[in-house]
Amino acid sequence: MPVIDRKNVLSGLMVREAMRKLVTHLPMDASIEQAARYAIKYKVNAILITGEKLEAIGVVSKTDLMGAYYAGLPVETAVQAIMVGPPMFCQMDDSLESALDTMRNSGIHRLYVVGDTPNRAAGVLAYPDIVGLLYRYCHKCEKSITRLRGTRSSDDLAGQLMVREVMSPSVLAHGADDTLLQVMEGLASHRFGAVLIRESHGLPAGVVSKTDMVIAYKHRIPTEAKAREIMAHPVHACEQDEPLAMAIQKMIFSDIHRLFVYKEHPHNIIGVLSLTDAARVRSGSCRACTSSRIIEDGPRG
Amino acid sequence: MGMTARDLMDTTFHTLLPQTLIAEAARTFMLASEEQKQRVFGMMVIDEQGRLVGMLSMYDILLLLRPKHIHIWGEMIDIDMGGLIDEACRQAKSILVGDIMTTDLITITADTHLQMILDIMIKKHIRRIPVLESGKVVGIVYISKVFYHLVQQLIE
Repeated sequence: MPVIDRKNVLSGLMVREAMRKLVTHLPMDASIEQAARYAIKYKVNAILITGEKLEAIGVVSKTDLMGAYYAGLPVETAVQAIMVGPPMFCQMDDSLESALDTMRNSGIHRLYVVGDTPNRAAGVLAYPDIVGLLYRYCHKCEKSITRLRGTRSSDDLAGQLMVREVMSPSVLAHGADDTLLQVMEGLASHRFGAVLIRESHGLPAGVVSKTDMVIAYKHRIPTEAKAREIMAHPVHACEQDEPLAMAIQKMIFSDIHRLFVYKEHPHNIIGVLSLTDAARVRSGSCRACTSSRIIEDGPRG
Repeated sequence: MGMTARDLMDTTFHTLLPQTLIAEAARTFMLASEEQKQRVFGMMVIDEQGRLVGMLSMYDILLLLRPKHIHIWGEMIDIDMGGLIDEACRQAKSILVGDIMTTDLITITADTHLQMILDIMIKKHIRRIPVLESGKVVGIVYISKVFYHLVQQLIE
């Protein structure tokens, strides 16, 4: 399929402009407990595992930590038992387009950026970093609706991408009395970052994310515990006809990776919008700056 | 025999448990500051067997309260930053001291010399060092104590 992307706002941007320079890392003999602590303390989704000379040898993500929790591994176990390696690298001067392609084709959520020393990470690039960069562009744009106060007219909304155009139209939900083991099975089999938790009468009660699972693992909560014991609430949600820009603002503002999407009433959840979905809309949040938006299928955040 | 940790250390100090909630730890910081009549910016974390298992500093708490995407919001002057911090505080509510404490610790004994303490503090960029005897905490040396002791000598 021919792709015309000259008006894509990502065109011409390089990895170095979006990457984060602080890479959270641990040696391979560090414990899972330490990795969980780093994930919570530094608010990162993955930790780079390094060898004696600080060379990158693997990655432990929240998914891997959740897998260890599910398998019942003691938190004292060394991270090398669960790390996935070797990490995938990109170059600082690679285009953001090609980095996104690599992430999509490999089904991964982050790339490490190689610096002057081979096999050592000088930075890391993840979907939220790309969304953040896009958001900054959108926010500065004269057509930005994120700067509007009060009600928005239909003129303001013309050309805006709406949440329903980008969201995943399926929702994984578990009961509040389901065990953490059951919820982990749901998260793993659908490759979701979080699930909606419903009360027995069907109303949304909260959300359990991989981060909540990592915290539960660190707190040594038994995997037979019920979802309601660790779920976060209220459910962060937006209306399906909300402009994408406002939804991205909500996610970044609340330090969350996804919003549940409802139709007409917050109780009627019909989809999920993740930062990963937003990153895939490579031209930002409105049609003003592109005639060639590219939305690709790939791993769900 | 020169000055040692024994002469400089505070032997009255507050400690935290790893399972204490961060909000509770923050209250203990305020209480400790009042009782010790000096601002306390770091505290030792002791387990139920009395063993030193970590340190919690003001920096660790600030790191937790710093919004994750502050690099994006930082340049946007029209954003309600107060709301960002409120959200970070809300998310921090379930976090325990043991989740964010520093466990890579440097300790000394009561016989460690002042020069050695000064050297450790400068090389490792640390402001307080626990003093252990037979594995138990007996005191803590603050950089301010070291500084004012040396300044006094400089003046004299």
